[in-house]
Amino acid sequence: MTSQEKLQRFEEEISPHLKSAYNLARWLTRSHEDAEDIVQEAFLRAFSAFESFRGEDAKPWLLTIVRNTSMTWLKRNRNARTTIAFEEALEDPIERSPDPEEGLLISCDRQQVRQALEQLPLDFREAVILREMEGLSYKEIAATIGVPIGTVMSRLSRGRDWLRRILSTPQPVKPEEGAGLR
Amino acid sequence: MNCDDSRIYLPAYLDEELGVGESLRVQKHLSECEDCRRAQDQQLSLRSALRDPGLYAYPTGDFSKRIEAAVRRAAQEEARSQGSSWFEWFRIGSFRWVPAMAALVIVTTIGVFLAMHSMRSTHEQLIASAVLAGHIRSLQPGHLIDVPSSDRHTVKPWFQGKLDFSPPVPDLSELGWNLVGGRLDYVDGRPVAALVYQRRMHNINVFLWPNHASAENAIREEDAQGYQILHWNGMETTYWVVSDLNNAELVEFARALRGH
Repeated sequence: MTSQEKLQRFEEEISPHLKSAYNLARWLTRSHEDAEDIVQEAFLRAFSAFESFRGEDAKPWLLTIVRNTSMTWLKRNRNARTTIAFEEALEDPIERSPDPEEGLLISCDRQQVRQALEQLPLDFREAVILREMEGLSYKEIAATIGVPIGTVMSRLSRGRDWLRRILSTPQPVKPEEGAGLR
Repeated sequence: MNCDDSRIYLPAYLDEELGVGESLRVQKHLSECEDCRRAQDQQLSLRSALRDPGLYAYPTGDFSKRIEAAVRRAAQEEARSQGSSWFEWFRIGSFRWVPAMAALVIVTTIGVFLAMHSMRSTHEQLIASAVLAGHIRSLQPGHLIDVPSSDRHTVKPWFQGKLDFSPPVPDLSELGWNLVGGRLDYVDGRPVAALVYQRRMHNINVFLWPNHASAENAIREEDAQGYQILHWNGMETTYWVVSDLNNAELVEFARALRGH
């Protein structure tokens, strides 16, 4: 493959996924500037590694590189920022709504959903973004993140539970109903 | 299929990750069960909230052009350097490929081994942080134990029906380790038994679940944020021990537990 052929193939197969690359980096870093830097770095890496691309699905292949570039970036900048060391500890967000099935999802307000998603710890956030926004299969997510499928399922399920709790509010109890109980 | 099964399968069903048979069983259950249909509606409403196109982050047109230009520059540079390196290869002669290929095979093999090793250790690190998170969570008021008892004959039966295995609950009080109770926890994507022992005012959380891998009785240590984490795979059970107790005493505890 000459350089010209390589460039042409790259632009046909990889470049169309720029949008997904940026979306993922943006949600992982929560910053527009960082996402642009990461995507640029990831695209150059992807181009130099393009010989190893064997015509499998291009999107997960590119997103794996974007994801790894983002993680390296986040680690490098972690000391400079006050990131929580144990993001895996997913605490119950709302005491008053213990069961995510109880309250109906009432908040479909985009701003609130955005905030909830930004607050979701990184491990869970990446699984949710890859599934819901990028439409990757469990298997593709597992390969992208580099964890077993079981872990993907558990992260998705816990991440979604957490979001449902954040975005749910329990059915308000009317005072007279409460009084009727006594 | 009952409701418990249906709730377990529901997310994978909605993600279209179930086989045909299981999908049909979930569908059938949903058609008969209003509660599960409500759970389905919940999950679907979250899904549509997350798939709101307004949340998707699109790159700007300028940025797309910048990336295109950067990639083309990289292609040009590569073409220049490749020109000279192809020339080198032909000049040196094709027999040089043999050691180069051999070196490539060796490097790749080492790479694969390292990757497998690091995947394994990453998995252990994930468990270690889950276990540590469980320990820290347990220290919050009211979270430590579900079944408060120093009697192993009370604690052990309590787990029955809550877990798919029967955890060993040894009595170590003669050695100065007092059992204070047990609870259920969730580690590595499965429910596990957590036993709580005490020495002085230090709580020790013991997380255990069935070990399906080979037994290696060596106690491994992980240190995290001032907590001690010990870990070993017994014949039938995997153990993770977490405490803020000093390392020497905790190792003594682990040996006592392992020897039981």
